[in-house]
Amino acid sequence: MKKVLEVILLLLLLVVTHAKGTRYSPPGKPALTRCRSPEKETFTCWWEPGSDGGLPTTYALYYRKESSDTVFECPDYRTAGENSCFFNKNDTSIWVNYNITVVATNALGRTFSDPVDIDVVYIVKPNPPEQVAVTVMEDKGWPFIRVSWEPPHKADTRSGWITLIYEIRVKLEEENDWEMHLAGQQKMFNIFSLRSGGKYLVQVRCKPDHGYWSEWSPSSYVKVPDYFHREKSVWILITVFCAFIFLILTWLLHMNSRSLKHFLLPPVPGPKIKGFDKQLLKNGKSEEVFSALVATDFPPKSSNYEDLLVEYLEVYIPEEQELMLEKSMDLDVGCLKCEGSASDSDSGRGSCDSHTLLMHKCDGVKEEEERQAKEAHGPGYWECGLSNKQPHLLHPQAQAQRQLQARSDDNISSIGRKQTPAGLHSPARRSTEYVEVERVNEEDMVLLQPVSGRCGDVEGYPEMPYGEDYSKVKGVDMDNMLLLQREVREETENCDTSSTVTTTQKPAACIHSAMPVEGEMVLGVNGYVDTATVCTPPTY
Amino acid sequence: MPGSIRPVSVVWVVLVCLLFCSRLLSVGAAPICTNAQAGCHALSLANLFDRVIQHSARMHGISNDLHSEFEQYFLPSKNQIGRVSRNCHTSTIFTPNGKENAQRMARQELTEVILKLLVAWRDPLWHFHQSIAHHHDFNNFSANKALEMSDMVHELRKGVEKVAEKMQMMGIISNSVSSLASPEALLPSDSAEWRLMKDYDLLYCFRRDSNKVQNYLKILKCRIVPEHGC
Repeated sequence: MKKVLEVILLLLLLVVTHAKGTRYSPPGKPALTRCRSPEKETFTCWWEPGSDGGLPTTYALYYRKESSDTVFECPDYRTAGENSCFFNKNDTSIWVNYNITVVATNALGRTFSDPVDIDVVYIVKPNPPEQVAVTVMEDKGWPFIRVSWEPPHKADTRSGWITLIYEIRVKLEEENDWEMHLAGQQKMFNIFSLRSGGKYLVQVRCKPDHGYWSEWSPSSYVKVPDYFHREKSVWILITVFCAFIFLILTWLLHMNSRSLKHFLLPPVPGPKIKGFDKQLLKNGKSEEVFSALVATDFPPKSSNYEDLLVEYLEVYIPEEQELMLEKSMDLDVGCLKCEGSASDSDSGRGSCDSHTLLMHKCDGVKEEEERQAKEAHGPGYWECGLSNKQPHLLHPQAQAQRQLQARSDDNISSIGRKQTPAGLHSPARRSTEYVEVERVNEEDMVLLQPVSGRCGDVEGYPEMPYGEDYSKVKGVDMDNMLLLQREVREETENCDTSSTVTTTQKPAACIHSAMPVEGEMVLGVNGYVDTATVCTPPTY
Repeated sequence: MPGSIRPVSVVWVVLVCLLFCSRLLSVGAAPICTNAQAGCHALSLANLFDRVIQHSARMHGISNDLHSEFEQYFLPSKNQIGRVSRNCHTSTIFTPNGKENAQRMARQELTEVILKLLVAWRDPLWHFHQSIAHHHDFNNFSANKALEMSDMVHELRKGVEKVAEKMQMMGIISNSVSSLASPEALLPSDSAEWRLMKDYDLLYCFRRDSNKVQNYLKILKCRIVPEHGC
C-alpha cells in the first residue's frame, strides 16, 4: 500500500513537472574551493555548490582523519557563513591529514564532490596586522616615517606557535606605484627618502613561515611636513651669487667688447706709405699721386722690411720701348706686365726696364687706388723704383689702359681685399711688388716687369712671392743671352714664354708664342732676376 | 709557654681559613661553560636556541623543496598530497598535534620528543639519499639536497643535545634527558618499518616531522627564554 502510494506520488510529481515544463534532476557536483586557517588552531572550508537540479538541495561535509576510517560530519555550518564548514579548536589537529568531501543531496539523489586532502599547517592565512601606527620623526634634519604594528591578535606569536614575517608598502597619495619593504620578524620599520610635504599611504601584511600572505591592513595616512634643508639654502645662495658675478662679467665684457676684439683679433694694419697723403688719391690727379709716391728717402736706409728684396733702380726707357709697352697690353688674368719691344736686343741693359713696367702698373694702381680710395682702402704697397721719366710714359692706349687697369684692378682689388677683412690674411703680409727681368734689350738694358700673382688667380689674392722665387740662371750663351731656368706651374694653362725665358724649361706645357702675354705672368711668378745677371733677349 | 702558643696557633688558623675562604668565594662566582673545556666562551641559552631553530628551519626548507620537486615530476594529479600508502614510521612516537597539547607538555618531555624524532630519521634519510643518488631520474641537485638533509638531521640532533645539556646545567630540566645518549636503544622496532616505505612517502613524512621539530623548538624557546623574538 505504502509503496503504491509512493509510486503514485512520484508519478504525480513527474506529471506535474512535465506539465510545468521544468526538469528536476539530482544535484550537480559541488566543489571544495578552499580551506583556510587564520591562526593554525582552527580552520574553515568553503565549497561551491553545483546546480541544485531545481529541487531544494542540502549540503553536507564529511571528513576523515589520517589513518582512521571513522567519518565525521562537519561540526559547524554556520559560523563561517554560507556554504562553509568551521572546525573549532577541538576538532582541529595539526600535522594530521584531513580527507574532506562535500555531498549535495536533493529529492532525486545525492552527488559527491572530489575529495580534498589538507594539512592545517600548510593552509594558514593570518589576519592582517593590527594597530598600525605611522609617525614622522626626524634624523639630523631629515624626516623619516616610523611604522609600527602588532601581529593579529588571533595569531599566537608570543608562545612561538606561529612565526610571522611582515611586509610594508608605501606610496604617495597621488601616485600608483607602491614601494615594498620586507621587514622580517620585526614589528617596526623606518622609511627614509621622503618628499617634502608629501602625503603617504602605508600598509602592512604578514605571512607565516609556510603559508599565505594576509590581506593588506587598512591604509594609514601620514603627511610629511615641509622642510627646507640647510644645505639647500646654501646652494641657492651660491647660485645667486654666481649669477650675479656672471652678470657683472657679461656687462664688463660688453663694455670692453671693442678692445677685447682688438686684442683677440687684431686688425690687419693697412699699408701705409710714409708721407703719402690719401687726399691726393681722392683728388684724382695721377701726376700728383705719382709724385707723392716718390719718396726721397725711399728706400729707408735703416728699414727692416724683410720683403725689400729689390734694390732701388733707376731705369730709363727710351721712346720706342714705350711704344712697345703700349702695344703689349693683352694681359692675362690677374697679371700685370709690361712688354718690351720685340726688336729689343736687350743686351747690356741695366737690370730692369722697370720704369715703363712700373709706370703701367702704377698707373693701373692709381686708377684702382682712386676707386679703392672711396672704399677707404689703403693703396697697395708697392715697391716701385721709378725714375723721373715717368711722365712720358703715361700715355698707353686706351684699350690697353683699360685692360691693364682691369687686370690691375683685379690685382689690386685682390690685394685690397687682402687688407680689409681682418684676419683673412696674415697681417704681416704686405702686398709687395717685385720686378723681375723680362728681357734685356739690345742696349744692354734689362726690361723689368712686375711680379704679380699666379696666372689664372683672380678670385683669391695673388700670392706674392716672397723672395724665394728666383729665376735661376742656367747659363749665358754665346750671344750674351742669359739662359734662365724656369719651372712650369700647373696652374698656368698656357705657359707661354716670352721675352726672357729661354730654353731650359720643362717643355711639356710650354709653348712659345708670338703673343708674349701669358708667358710673362708665369715668369713673373717665378721670381726675378738678380741685378747682376745679364738679361737675354726675347726669343721670338 | 704552651698556654701562649695555643691562642697564637688558633689565631693563625683562623687567619689562614679566612684567606682561603675568601679565595673560594671569589672563585665560586666564575661562570660555567657548557663544554667542559678550559678557556671556552659561554653561549647563552637563547643563543643556542636561536641556532638550533635556524638549523631546523633550514632543514625543513630543504625537505619542502624536495617534496615539491617530487610532486611536480612524479605525482601529476592534484589531490594526491598526503596519499600515504602506509603510516609514517614515526607515528608511534607520541607528538602533540595542537597548541594546547604542546604547551601542556613538560619541557623535558618536549625535548625528549624532539630528540626521538631526530634520532628516528637518521638512518631512513641516509638510505633515502642513497636511493636517490642511484636513481637516474633525479639530477645531482636533488641528490645533494638529500645528502644535505641527512647531514642536517645529524647536526641538529647534536645541537639539541647540547641545548638539553645546558638546560640541565641550568636546572631547567631534570637529568633524565641524558638517558637519550644512546639513541639506538630507543627505537629498535622501527628499524624495518621505514624500509618498506616508498621514497615519496618517506619524504612526505620527513617534511612533516621536520616542521614538528621546528615548531617544538620554538615553543620551548619562547617558554624558557622568551626575551628575544617571541
